[in-house]
Amino acid sequence: MLRVLMRMPGRPRGSRHSGHRTPTRLVAALALLAAALLVPLTVSQPASGADKKTTFTVALTSDLDSFNPFLGVEANSYEMWALMYDYLVNYSMKDMSPAPGLAESWDTSSDGKTWTFHVRDGVKWSDGQDLTAEDVAFTYNRVLTGEIEGTNWSSYLNNVSKVTAPDPQTVELTLSQPNAVLPLLPIPIVPEHVWKGVTEKDMKSFANEPKPGQPVVGSGPFRLTSGTTGGSTIEFEKNPDYWNGTPHVDQVVYRVYKSKDPAVQALIKGEVDFVEDINPLQVKALQGQKGIAAQNGISPLFEEIGFNTGAVDTKTKKPIGDGNPALRDPKFRHALGYAVDLDRIVKSAYQGAAEAGMTIVPSAYGGWHWQPTGEDKFTFDLDKAGQLLDEAGYEKGADGKRTMPDGKPIGTLRLFARSDQKPSVDTMNFFQEWLADVGIDAEVTPMDTNRLGEVILEGNYDAFQWDWFVEPDPDGILADFTCDQLGGLSDSWYCNKEYDALYKQQNGEMDHDKRVEIVKRMQQMLYEDSPYIVTAYTTTGEAVRSDRFACFQPQPDPGGVWLVQYGAHNYSALRPVDEAGDCDGVKSALKPVAASSSGGGADGGSNNAVLIVGGVTVLLLLAAGGFLALRRRATAGERE
Amino acid sequence: MSTETAALRLTPRQVTRRRRAAAAQRTWRQFRVNRAGMFGLVLLSFFVLVAVFAPLLADADGLQVTKATGEVLEAPSAAYPLGTDDTGRSVLTLLIWGSRISLFVGLFATAISMVIGTLMGLASGFFEGWSGRILFRLTEWFLVIPFLPLAIVLASVLGRSLLNIAIVIGVTSWPGTAFLIRSQTLSIKERPYLERARVLGAGRWHQMSRHILPNVMPMVFANTTLTVAVAIIAETTLSFLGLGDPTRVSWGSMLDDAFSVGAMTTGAWWFIVPPGVCVVLVVLAFTLVGQALEEIFNPRLRGAR
Amino acid sequence: MTTTVVSTPTAQPLTRRPSYAKYVGAKVVGAIGSLFFVLVVNFFLFRVMPGDPARTLGRGRFKTTEQLEAFRHTYGLDQSLFQQFLTFLQNTFTGQLGISLRYRVPVSDLIRDRFWPTLLLVGTSTILAILFGVWIGVRAAWNRGGFFDKVSTGSTLTLYSMPEWWLGLLLIATLAVGVGPIPGIFPTGGLHSTDVDPGSLAGVLDTAWHLFLPVVTLTLAYLADYSLVMRSSLLDELGEDYLTTARAKGLRDLAVRRHHAVRNALLPTTTISAVNMGFVVSGAITVETVFSIPGLGLLSSEALAIPDYWVLQGTFLIASGGVIVANLLANLLYGLLDPRVRT
Repeated sequence: MLRVLMRMPGRPRGSRHSGHRTPTRLVAALALLAAALLVPLTVSQPASGADKKTTFTVALTSDLDSFNPFLGVEANSYEMWALMYDYLVNYSMKDMSPAPGLAESWDTSSDGKTWTFHVRDGVKWSDGQDLTAEDVAFTYNRVLTGEIEGTNWSSYLNNVSKVTAPDPQTVELTLSQPNAVLPLLPIPIVPEHVWKGVTEKDMKSFANEPKPGQPVVGSGPFRLTSGTTGGSTIEFEKNPDYWNGTPHVDQVVYRVYKSKDPAVQALIKGEVDFVEDINPLQVKALQGQKGIAAQNGISPLFEEIGFNTGAVDTKTKKPIGDGNPALRDPKFRHALGYAVDLDRIVKSAYQGAAEAGMTIVPSAYGGWHWQPTGEDKFTFDLDKAGQLLDEAGYEKGADGKRTMPDGKPIGTLRLFARSDQKPSVDTMNFFQEWLADVGIDAEVTPMDTNRLGEVILEGNYDAFQWDWFVEPDPDGILADFTCDQLGGLSDSWYCNKEYDALYKQQNGEMDHDKRVEIVKRMQQMLYEDSPYIVTAYTTTGEAVRSDRFACFQPQPDPGGVWLVQYGAHNYSALRPVDEAGDCDGVKSALKPVAASSSGGGADGGSNNAVLIVGGVTVLLLLAAGGFLALRRRATAGERE
Repeated sequence: MSTETAALRLTPRQVTRRRRAAAAQRTWRQFRVNRAGMFGLVLLSFFVLVAVFAPLLADADGLQVTKATGEVLEAPSAAYPLGTDDTGRSVLTLLIWGSRISLFVGLFATAISMVIGTLMGLASGFFEGWSGRILFRLTEWFLVIPFLPLAIVLASVLGRSLLNIAIVIGVTSWPGTAFLIRSQTLSIKERPYLERARVLGAGRWHQMSRHILPNVMPMVFANTTLTVAVAIIAETTLSFLGLGDPTRVSWGSMLDDAFSVGAMTTGAWWFIVPPGVCVVLVVLAFTLVGQALEEIFNPRLRGAR
Repeated sequence: MTTTVVSTPTAQPLTRRPSYAKYVGAKVVGAIGSLFFVLVVNFFLFRVMPGDPARTLGRGRFKTTEQLEAFRHTYGLDQSLFQQFLTFLQNTFTGQLGISLRYRVPVSDLIRDRFWPTLLLVGTSTILAILFGVWIGVRAAWNRGGFFDKVSTGSTLTLYSMPEWWLGLLLIATLAVGVGPIPGIFPTGGLHSTDVDPGSLAGVLDTAWHLFLPVVTLTLAYLADYSLVMRSSLLDELGEDYLTTARAKGLRDLAVRRHHAVRNALLPTTTISAVNMGFVVSGAITVETVFSIPGLGLLSSEALAIPDYWVLQGTFLIASGGVIVANLLANLLYGLLDPRVRT
């Protein structure tokens, strides 16, 4: 009985009546939509060119962490400081070797214990005060005395006991021992009159952010006018009184993107003028576009397969962890160097955008790089690898697997890869295969970098895949292989007294040529002992609207990156296309390209792709709706 | 004559079993009529078959980066019906094998979630007083913490393997089930026949397993299928964020690769659309089946008959 | 992924129902208890994660172990766990959320900067999803079997089955990048254009333009939850006896619907909506990533990589706090509207 009554409410054609409640909401929704769609008409502005101010917009694909040079560690933060501040010593565009900065020249005493820098005259801070040697001394002394400031920079003032400014144009560094790494001084010089009010307590969270109308006081080519720590838009305006020449653009704006593909799309659309750190495949796709120049620029980074050469407890020197004993033998490791097909790795893991690796000093640093030659050079030769293994005593057993010299099986080598980097996982997968080809079992475990770091410190690994960024002076990377760094930065546990002696020697060797010799000898030693197999020197992909801006000089020259370099040279040098001229006579600078339609869609291929994508989605929705309609029809009969 | 007597003398257990079998048959009959549910079931069977017969459909070697034969990001062709990925592997092969991962993680995570959720739900609904309340608080904590950050934390603590991802999803998704079971338990608990059972001396365990659980099971079953749908999306999202098992190819990891390699810019639609479509279809299938089951077990949703 | 928290009424023994005031009191105490429980568990949860923040942040920059130690000392990482826990409790009760290890500014500053974009993104989407979802659910249930029901249920189910970030990617590919003759009229990401003042009217419109695609993505993703629940609870209601009584009294179709069915059917939806409003402050990690919106979701997911303990504690506190408060309000509301639940 009740059921009969209940059938009535569901009258399907009652849709006419349903209108009452909904119009308000519907109208509101439509109004919102209309507003949103009208916005592009009211707000659309060309990104640059039509305005009175020229703005150079850069899309960053990774965050920067702090505007305070004593706190930040991210690469992009360094870029910000390079714009705001100056350095005592700059970097040449050719090979990042020392070049004059705030210091016009410098000399060292014969015993190497006194360095005198001659600071140029006439440099002013953005608030009008003069920049003098006092500011330099203040900055460096903060690094020497402050715990926080020292955390970032004290390694660059190694052995420096005192920094003084005997007169406004002279800075004197007094050392307890010679330090050949100087004048590598990437410490930005900050104004004493502003920073003397920042106490040690304040420093640990001092953000150095600009306030509205009050840009951060600096001496660099640009001034930070707006931006917050961890924010997504950072704005700089030009410093018209810059000592190294007025920049040619009025504004530099950074926009932080959280994913790379939309950033690249922003470049194509014209929302940004430069995008940094993109993939080789994206570079390839962009190279076909009009008005865009894209390249894989050399940057001094190398990728390696690192081995556990013998993890020990730093205090007792007793072995820790469960590393495979075979890897403690340099001959075993060196033989494996012939079982790695570097060309295959470059082609497959890095999509061709890398150079086969050699030593720990990348080829970008031409002056320091040692080149193995002839017989010494690793080639992909499985037979030779097998031969060397046999000679070292690791012969194949009855089952085809290699054994230790005493006959025991080697066991399975545990290869660790960084799970967040596909090339890392790919490299180790390849390595596993090649090891199998020479008769060694291996298994690959991808792992979180945090966890991998712990595993390495505990010594519970056989091999891992990682990378290192190398500074203009090789001292830093060489130090990682010293015995002092065991339990610290060393991830191969390499410890060789001969090597340590050489390290000490080059660290204090003031004769440059002699020093280069020692550094090369050290590279050779590492190449032979093979705590690492350096697999590749990778590149950084980047792209720019060459129909809007030009005159980017690569660093290193030739072949290097156009932005995010050592120093802010290109920010002063870059020009809008109509002012480019011959780019101040720099031959390798990026020349402008004939202006094409700014913005505009992607080429036909992408359009098709996206059309198909959109079509599929619509089809999907229709299909789903349709099938459900079938259901409704079937069960409707039962209901009403 | 003796057969008749024998037929009359069925044990209670046999009676229950027959009743249950009859109920299952009824359910199936109702389900069959439900078009959307059937569509979902067919779709589901298709994917399950693909997953089970993956070795026959696509060469396992095609998963190895080291054995990749194609060029990087090739467009679809006769040799590669869905083109290649960024290391030269056939996308179709990846898709077929990826179904295994997505289904496995979805089902295993759901199993964990169901077991924990049912136990917790029964317990916290049934036990009153302090123990019930503490259980409730624990359930609430899991609900209150945002899912994705919690999953990331657990994934980093446990490490990245297939099993761990399933555990992470299972452990973070049981509260929904628990709450449902709890409310069902609470309502069933007050029913008269349970009152009678208690009077007759039935212990807690007996009440839970013999009376409450069987009545709760149908809803649990419906909820299970819906949970699988959610678990599969969760796995896809975790893989997209780079937390999946790096040694296995799943639909989520394919999407992650496609996105980080620049699918939009390179126009590689064959890499970024098919895995997503597969996810949508599988999840839709589970959702439709689950909804159909819900309609069957909750008569009020069915409307007048 | 949302879970439904619905306090269903249980069969009441014939005792006096507690007053509303007592109910409120009990719920508030419960909420405070939950919050404290959350605080404590969260602290220890993050310390269990592998990773040494000093090493993660300092790789390649800190050259000596002295520098690593100095970093740890400055930010209190070298203290014992118990000591850190005490400091944490002390700080939380005085309202300080600590200093971020990654950005080295107060956590409260970071949260404050990210709060508004998150609210705009997730809050707007949630509200729109509720409005549209309820409307769709009501219409679908009322005209069950009709064309609207078929199409809407089908499409909402399909949208529900999609990972929301995939939908976002498709939207970027079609509407931001451009398809064929249609130019990409929406920006590819971010919250503002660089040459517009965010405070001005043009700036507000500009922000809305940037948020359009992400909000559409999230709204479509959240929609199905509400529409399906609304539809099923309304169908539930449509079967209740009292409705037939109302019909029998001869009231008009529309009046019946508005005054009885939908009102009551709204209760579960209200509870879910309230709880989901609480989830607003946890952000939407995947959509924020794809559209580069600087929100709280991204802040916490990036902090997990280091791990940046203080940021995590802060964001999780805000997120859980939001849900607990929303839960509380939902329960209070439900208790007010439906006295049966006041156990």
